Amino acid sequence: MTAVHHPSDETLLRCAAGSLSAGPAIVVRAHTDTCQQCRRTMARFEAVGGALLKEIEPTPLNDAAFDDVLLKIDASVVRPMTTKPLGDVSMPNGNPYPRSLAHARIGKFRWLGPGFRRSNVAVAGHPRANLMLMHIGAARKMPDHGHTGVEYTLVLSGSFSDQSGRYVAGDFIELDSSVEHQPIVDPDGACLCLAALEGDMRLKGVIGRFMQWFMRA
Amino acid sequence: MNVAISAGRYRYVPATAASTSGRRASARGLMAYSEEELRSKMSAVATGDRQSFAELFAYFAPKVKSLLMRKGYDAALAEEIAQEVMLAVWRKAGLYDAARANPTTWIFSIVRNRTIDRFRNERRHTLIAPDPSDEVEGPPDGEAVLVTSDEEREVRAALSRLSEEQALIIRSFYFDDKSHSQIATDLSLPLGTVKSRVRLAIAHLRKLLDDRE
Repeated sequence: MTAVHHPSDETLLRCAAGSLSAGPAIVVRAHTDTCQQCRRTMARFEAVGGALLKEIEPTPLNDAAFDDVLLKIDASVVRPMTTKPLGDVSMPNGNPYPRSLAHARIGKFRWLGPGFRRSNVAVAGHPRANLMLMHIGAARKMPDHGHTGVEYTLVLSGSFSDQSGRYVAGDFIELDSSVEHQPIVDPDGACLCLAALEGDMRLKGVIGRFMQWFMRA
Repeated sequence: MNVAISAGRYRYVPATAASTSGRRASARGLMAYSEEELRSKMSAVATGDRQSFAELFAYFAPKVKSLLMRKGYDAALAEEIAQEVMLAVWRKAGLYDAARANPTTWIFSIVRNRTIDRFRNERRHTLIAPDPSDEVEGPPDGEAVLVTSDEEREVRAALSRLSEEQALIIRSFYFDDKSHSQIATDLSLPLGTVKSRVRLAIAHLRKLLDDRE
């Protein structure tokens, strides 16, 4: 599985810098999980963050600040921090979900239209993450649609095509509001995508948009 | 050392009052550690060494506080989050993998994960529970991403070769979370111009970072 479509350098930098929202950041990290090239670029951009932190002039804390932290350490049971597995949840094709979803909660897949099911993905601490999984049946054609914000999509399994190319597992697509496209899932199997919208999009709008596809389908 | 031990307890001494006791200090009299030194302190903290933790705290907490204030948090909240970040450093020191990131980069990523999408003026900062996303995401098995101490020098060299405007644009992503339209307003430039300058700045940085190999 080799991705052909990758996040832009700006998206990788924003993800590394922390100026990309939580939902899109998870989609980017699900891509870098399997893409060595982007993982390296991301590591470099993170190192830039380290260098900037290192050169910043310090602002002294209150004298009691360190003691406060020690008190918290002493007061709390020190739990060993280990990575919690996602559990037995796996993708509809049986493969494990990307590791960037390890701490997310995947909701029930709900029917949204013929051949089209969607699951809301809840991210702890980020109620407005606007992250979702979309499962679209083989050879399903989605109506033309535009985007109201930047939409970040990662193909997890299967493939689809639109005017600008073919997208297979591992491929990352970012589309801003100026782009209209008509994705068609390839006939050899269903397609599972992880998608997030940038910014504070109202969920109602998201559902509305998908419902609109459905109505016009 | 920045840290004095009094009556068996480890006490944080504000950096400005530090005696350097033979360590090299910057022109401002502040402690400067190499990433090598920070790494050995990190591994000591992983074994529960409070003296090393006190030193890391004295070094990093004031920088983290500054970073948060640059990001727009008021001093009190910045201090609170800086304390949380250092608490996370204590708890997660065992998860730190020196082969994946320098200590400073690792701590930067903890700060970043705690501030994504947070409101600057949020009075009550609610995120107290350790954030699982602080773990350094590493490559799948076996891939060596050897981070050398040289990396930090090289990254700094790359940053210093950017033009003033490009450095400003890059920093705005790390410090200010600014959108293109906000940058456009700040620089009194049309949005399209800002977009292409942002692209150029990032491409230049990427090239400088790639060239160091």
